[in-house]
Amino acid sequence: MKRKKRIKTIIMSSLTGLVVISFAFPFVWMLLASFKTQAQIMSPDEFLIFKPTGQNYVNVFNEYDFMKFIINSFIVAAGSTLGSLILGLPAAYAIARHRLQGLGLVILVARIIPGITFLIPWFIIFSQLGLVDSYLSLILSHMLVGLPFIIWVMISFFEGLPTEIEEAGLIDGCTPTQVFLRIVLPISGPGIITSSLLSFIFSWNNFMFSIILAGDKTKTLPVAVFNFMSYSEINWGALMASACVITLPVLIIALLAQRFIVSGLAAGAVKG
Amino acid sequence: MRTNWFDRNQKWIYTMPAVLFVLLMMVFPILYTFRISFYEWSMSSTTPPKWVGFDNYIALLSDARFWVTVKQTFIFTFGALIVQTVLGVAIAVLLHREFFGKNLVKTIFLLPMVATPVAMGLVWLLIYEPSIGAANTLLKMIGLSPQLWIASPSQVMPSLILMDVWMWTPMISLIVMAGLATLPTEPYEAADVDGASTWQKFWYVTLPLLRPTIIVAVMLRLIDVLKTFDIIYATTQGGPNMKSETLNIYGYTLGFQYFKLGMASTLLVIFFAIVMALTLLMIYVRKRLEVAS
Amino acid sequence: MKRKMKRWMQGTLAAVLAVSMLSACGGGNDKPSQGVEGEGAAKPFQGKKLSIATANHPWGDAIKELIPQFEEETGMKVDVQSYFEDQLSQKLTVQFTSGSATPDVFMYSPLQHAKQFYNNGWLQPLDEYVTKNADYDFEDFSKASVSTNTIDGKIVGIPTITEQHILYYRKDLLEEANIAVPKTMDELLAAAKALHDPSKEMYGFSARGQRSALVSQISSFMYSEGGEFMRDGKAFLNSPESVKGMNTYATLLRDFGPPGVLNMSWPQAIGVFAQGKSAFFADVNSIYLNAADPEKSTISDQIGYAVFPAGDAGSQPFNIASWGIAMNAKAADKDAAWAFIEWATSKEIMLETQKLGNPGSRLSVWASPEGTVAFPKELAEVTMETQKGGVDHSLPQVNAVGEARDIIGSIVQRAITGEDIQAAADQANKEFQALIDNESGQ
Repeated sequence: MKRKKRIKTIIMSSLTGLVVISFAFPFVWMLLASFKTQAQIMSPDEFLIFKPTGQNYVNVFNEYDFMKFIINSFIVAAGSTLGSLILGLPAAYAIARHRLQGLGLVILVARIIPGITFLIPWFIIFSQLGLVDSYLSLILSHMLVGLPFIIWVMISFFEGLPTEIEEAGLIDGCTPTQVFLRIVLPISGPGIITSSLLSFIFSWNNFMFSIILAGDKTKTLPVAVFNFMSYSEINWGALMASACVITLPVLIIALLAQRFIVSGLAAGAVKG
Repeated sequence: MRTNWFDRNQKWIYTMPAVLFVLLMMVFPILYTFRISFYEWSMSSTTPPKWVGFDNYIALLSDARFWVTVKQTFIFTFGALIVQTVLGVAIAVLLHREFFGKNLVKTIFLLPMVATPVAMGLVWLLIYEPSIGAANTLLKMIGLSPQLWIASPSQVMPSLILMDVWMWTPMISLIVMAGLATLPTEPYEAADVDGASTWQKFWYVTLPLLRPTIIVAVMLRLIDVLKTFDIIYATTQGGPNMKSETLNIYGYTLGFQYFKLGMASTLLVIFFAIVMALTLLMIYVRKRLEVAS
Repeated sequence: MKRKMKRWMQGTLAAVLAVSMLSACGGGNDKPSQGVEGEGAAKPFQGKKLSIATANHPWGDAIKELIPQFEEETGMKVDVQSYFEDQLSQKLTVQFTSGSATPDVFMYSPLQHAKQFYNNGWLQPLDEYVTKNADYDFEDFSKASVSTNTIDGKIVGIPTITEQHILYYRKDLLEEANIAVPKTMDELLAAAKALHDPSKEMYGFSARGQRSALVSQISSFMYSEGGEFMRDGKAFLNSPESVKGMNTYATLLRDFGPPGVLNMSWPQAIGVFAQGKSAFFADVNSIYLNAADPEKSTISDQIGYAVFPAGDAGSQPFNIASWGIAMNAKAADKDAAWAFIEWATSKEIMLETQKLGNPGSRLSVWASPEGTVAFPKELAEVTMETQKGGVDHSLPQVNAVGEARDIIGSIVQRAITGEDIQAAADQANKEFQALIDNESGQ
């Protein structure tokens, strides 16, 4: 019996190891390749042990002005997250407290509709307004992903807050607005962090809207990496370096805020 | 007093900005797309939109390429969905125990989901590279012959499905793990009394209890897999020989490569209808199962 | 209480303003940057900014290297963005459709874009500019290359690159196997077969297999059998001549091509050749440095160049003015934009780029002994031989070239994957005819 249990533990552990390796492998491969020369990538003998070079990163930043794209991506991601919070927090609160379920459903529909359905009309309208290749059009389009998400997560968060605190606030003479701003929001930190982080990541990663609505001046990282990919399709080292540059901030957020992100992704699920 | 009015109408004032945004940025564009689907227009400044009635719909529905993309969209969606659900549940059960480094494992699991899809597409492009990629190196190591992966019309779909499985299986696992944590212990005690094997416990106790959670996870994934764009566009752009062209990709090509905006809008209206219909179907199935159990 | 609300409103307002200010920054950049007026005639464009889009063609790389010289002379700041050919095409279309004033100047493929872009009003006619400065000597450009860049009697772009379709081969391998340089399609097929040995990672023939990219390549194969994309306004893809040409190409890639060829455009295909993994490679002459430069190639000293092999209709490769440079009709400062075009296509700079291996469009450069110094002797001979004849287009002459390329390219892709080529050609012919009809109907 004991032996059987030990065998079971060994099997489980090795399976777990296999799973971890499979899911981590592409990242390891990306990181290693980004420090290799073209010749080293070509040679299977130098898979793990090789003399690393930083040249790929130098190329990415010097020849291809990645700094500009990083700044663009940051402006758009921060702007769209901020905009979504400003519009989304009051809305989520009202929906949660006043049971505006119909409105909640409309927001859910936003999550279901294929984003590309919006892209053609936006492109036409933004073109006519001269707003293609502006931060405004990118921020607005990215808010389409961020806003419904923030509202959705925050509805369930606000619903989970005990109403007693708010009632106590009202009895103390606060107006409902003050209750929201001075009592509810300060204790909603975890929910706000969770939803903002994910909204930021969604915007940072967004490719489909950006490839059409961003131009030379506002090009974001995913578009830059994509252009770079077909431009120098054969220079794998530099490509992997650019992939590392774009993924790194997201991975850092994920590592530092693991708990928040898991709960955020699950929040969408719990409510269904 | 003004403040009173403000507070009395709180629910409308609070929701107004978001509702306005939704109306302007979502409802209006959808209506606009619907309208253009009855026109022929390439956005050229010299020729205005031309009303063509249902011509776009007729042309699209009799276009062989359209039906191929419909088929491929479903193959991709259900292929990816089935594999990641089975694998995701299995992994969740595997990890549902205390062990050293569990948090680290959970973090690693998070990475494929949050990493930038375009960059991951790039990495997989290198993995699938026929002569230097890791995929073929691995095959050769275990004595199999190298494959063409995304460069082969017959393997491109499975290869893309594998990518999606890598990215999103963790999501199913994490949701199911959260579900596992809330399961009651009594049924297991009863099963132990009956002398059930581990497998029997999984099949007759765990799985039925998890069903609602799994259905929710599948629903969320279904909506997103249908809409997959980034990883396909960044790796194959629908090729080779259009064998990985899904509705999303074809719509994009029609709209922004051929600039047939009317035709593209027609496709998007149909795509929209398909996504909505499938979502409603899932909601219906879920309700039925809930009643049944 | 009122004050609190006011504060809240102010906060919101500030945030909204912050968001709209961000956009104002974006919008602000759209306006032409006002240069600092100064120093007068010496540097007339001091401080002006110019944005240029280039393809990842060797000419684009060469001109990028020379741009600091232009910046030095004029005081302008030039921002260059490079794209892969397909992406450049999409990028330009999207930008111009949305009325963008950038890029000011761009590299374009006249065979693909001149007609469509000009009809949409995106190209600035250059007739006035080319005669402004007598030193520019516009008469010096070859007549054929200028006519490719002329739509409805207007000069819409300046030709920069002329290209011919040729056959590259490995001298050492042919010698070793005692095979003569193929002069006909049948000889090419036989030689590719003889040298094909996949177990040693040696492939008989390498060329583009990507759907859209391969279309210009099959044109010479079709012409040499008497075929064409279209004839007298009718699709001609499923004619026996056209099918025979495409079939030769598809057979070469299917039976003797490298693995993964369906995803290869020219950089990958010539990469296979340059790594010593294929015996033959067919593409344009202007990219020869990717194989002949010892830094990029392991077989740089073993390359032979041959005239395109002959089919039933003889050797009929394309001989085209493949790339040009044009001005955005909405460019903010057209004089500055022209200054760049004039510089980039001047006798001096074209000599420089040609010395770096880019076959140009100026007769005087070809006539000067320095003009051909870059090319291996054999390549120069083959080029001049091909320039005598050949066909002046490599793509179908319609408006929607991009869509037509997808239709036509799928014939060959389907054939490479083993489907019946005649059936594929019949179907594509129907679709292509519909496209032609649709365009002529408007």
